[in-house]
Amino acid sequence: MVIKINMKYAFIIYLLLLGFFELCAQESKPVHQTFGDRRIINTQSVEMLPVRKLDFRVGHRFGDLAGSGGGWSTFYGLENASDVMIGFEYGVTENLMVGINRTKGAGPLRQLINSFAKFRLMTQGATKTQPVSLVVLGLTTVSTQPKSETEGVLHFFESPIHRWSYHLSVLTARKFNERISVQANASWTYRNIVPAGDSNNLPAVGLAGRAQFSKSLALIVDTTFPISAFRTSENQFYPAIGLGIEFNTSGGHVFQMNFTNTRGISETDYIPYSQSNIADGEFRLGFTISRLFSL
Amino acid sequence: MNRLITLILLVGAWIIFQSSEKEATVLDKDQSLYEALYQLGYKSVDHSPDLSIAGASAQVGEDLVKFGFSDIEGQLKSKRQSKHFVCTSCHNIEREDPDVSVSDPEARLEYVVKKGLPFLQATTLYGAVNRTDFYNDDYIKKYGDLIQSAKHDIRAAIELCAVECAQGRELHDWEVESILAYLWELQFTLGDLNLDENEAMIIQKALNGDKMEMQAIQILESKYLKHSPAHFVDPRPRDKHSEAPNTGDVQNGKLVYDVSCKHCHLNNRYSYLNLDDSSLTFKWLSNKAETYSRYSIFQIIRYGTHAKHGKKSYMPRYPIEKMSDQQLEDLKAYLDLMAE
Repeated sequence: MVIKINMKYAFIIYLLLLGFFELCAQESKPVHQTFGDRRIINTQSVEMLPVRKLDFRVGHRFGDLAGSGGGWSTFYGLENASDVMIGFEYGVTENLMVGINRTKGAGPLRQLINSFAKFRLMTQGATKTQPVSLVVLGLTTVSTQPKSETEGVLHFFESPIHRWSYHLSVLTARKFNERISVQANASWTYRNIVPAGDSNNLPAVGLAGRAQFSKSLALIVDTTFPISAFRTSENQFYPAIGLGIEFNTSGGHVFQMNFTNTRGISETDYIPYSQSNIADGEFRLGFTISRLFSL
Repeated sequence: MNRLITLILLVGAWIIFQSSEKEATVLDKDQSLYEALYQLGYKSVDHSPDLSIAGASAQVGEDLVKFGFSDIEGQLKSKRQSKHFVCTSCHNIEREDPDVSVSDPEARLEYVVKKGLPFLQATTLYGAVNRTDFYNDDYIKKYGDLIQSAKHDIRAAIELCAVECAQGRELHDWEVESILAYLWELQFTLGDLNLDENEAMIIQKALNGDKMEMQAIQILESKYLKHSPAHFVDPRPRDKHSEAPNTGDVQNGKLVYDVSCKHCHLNNRYSYLNLDDSSLTFKWLSNKAETYSRYSIFQIIRYGTHAKHGKKSYMPRYPIEKMSDQQLEDLKAYLDLMAE
C-alpha cells in the first residue's frame, strides 16, 4: 500500500484546527487534565507536572506484532524490545518542567540521552481569551553509541557534533468537554547528520485526541506527519500512528498500553525514522508506567 | 440659690452614677479569653509562647501554619516542613462553630459554608490554646503511645502533628514557639463565647473587682470546649441490594461535597484523585459508594488511608464529631442525583 501525504493539506488542516479552537466557546476557569498524562502515546501532551513532583517513567515498545518480524516466532513481538525509555521528569514551577531520559534508540543512532524542557504559555480557560492550552517543548538528544569504524554510516561520527539532534514543538490543545480532548502539534526537528538524500530540517504536524470513557479509563490516539518530500511510502517512511488505552489508578500511577507503528520513543528518533508499515503488521505493543514522588 | 446648686450637684451625681453603672455592664467582646481569666485570678497556663528563644515570632508562626515554611526578611528562615501538607490542609484557622461549647457537625457545616470555610477532619486552630487536652478520645487508637506526651502538652501536640499528621520533619524549638505565638493570637475572645446579658454582667462586674471571680470563671469555662472530642466509628452497615430510597438531603450533600471533598481533591490539590463536578466523577463515586474499597465514600471517610513507605501522603479519617452519619447519607444522595 502506498501512502502519499500532501503536506500542504496537512499544514492547512493544522491551521484550520487552530482557528477552530480560537472560535470555540470560552471559559473563565482554568481547565484541569486535558490529557491524563504528560505523554499521549508518542507525542508529548500539554499536561505539566505539578511543582516539586518527580516522575519516574519507564516506556517500552515491543517488537512487531505481525509481519516478518512478528508472529509466533517472537511471541508476537513480546520477546523483542524495539525501544526502552527510562527517565525522570520534574516540575520546576507551575509552568515549567524538565526531564531527562535514556532510550535504547530505534533509528540509525542508538543509546540516546534525551533532555527536555517544557514550558506552558497558556492554560485553557485561565482567562476568557484563552480557549486553548499552549505549550512549547524543546528537546536535545545525544547519541552515546560507540563510533563506528565504517565510513558512510551515520554513527561514524566524523565530528562529535554529529551525535546531536534537536527538537522544538508547539502543542495546542483544547478540552471540549469532560470526555473529549484534542491536540494539534507543529514541530521542527534538526539532526546534525542525516542519511543521503534527507534534509537536516524536518518540520512535522500532528494530531492527537483523548476520549474518556470512565473516571479511570480513556482511549488515546496520536499521529505525527513529517513534512518531507523524502518521506514517502516508496522510501519506506510512514506517519507515526498510535492508539492506546490509559488507566488512571487514582493513586499516582498512570498505566498506558498502546499499539504504534513507531519503533523509537524520543521525538528525534520516531519522527524522522518511522519506517514501519501498519498494513504489513509492523506495529507493536507498548506501555508506559509512571510513578510520581513528592520532593 | 443653695437649693439650686444642691439640685444640680445631685442630678450630676446621678448622671455620673448611671453612666458608670452602664459602662460596667458592657463587656469588651474583643478582650482575649486568657486576659479575662488571668484578670479574674485564673492560674496561668503553661503553653504561653516563650519568645525569648532566638528566632521565635508570631509572624514566622503564621507563615509556618499557612505555607509550611517561612522566609521573612530579617527573620530566621524556616525550610519546608512537609512535602505533603501544611497545617491549613486539615485545620481551619478561623472560628468554625456557632457555639464553641459543643461539637456539632450539622451546625458547623452550616456555619462554615456561610463563612466560606472548608469543612475539615481536624479541629480549627482558632481557640487551640484555650484547650487543655489534645489528640482526644479515639486518637489513641491511631497513634498509640505517641499521644501520651502530647495529651496535655500543646508543644508536644504541635510536634506530633508536624511529624505524624503532616508526615514532615521535626520542628525546631524556635519554630514550635513561633507556631505557639501565632496560635496565641488565635485564642478565643469574650465575644466568641455566646454569653447572655446576665452572664456578661456577672463577668464584667467580676472584672471590675466586684468579688464574683469564681462564678465568672465558671461561666467562662462552661462556654467553650477544653478538648475537642473525636470518636472513630465504622460506616453504618449497608445493604447494597436495598431498593429503599436514599433519605439524604441533596442540598446538604452538595455542601459536604463542595467544602469537604473538593477542598483536598479538586484539581489534585492534596491528592492524586481528582474530584470535580463532571458527570464521570459523580458516576464513579456513586458506583463505588457501596463497595468495600477505599474508593467508597463511606469507607474512606470513616477509615481514611494511612501513610506508607514511598507514599506518605494520606487521607485522615473523619471522626463522628467532624462528619455525622446523616451528612454522609446526604453526600451519597447528592452523588446519586448527580450521577443520574
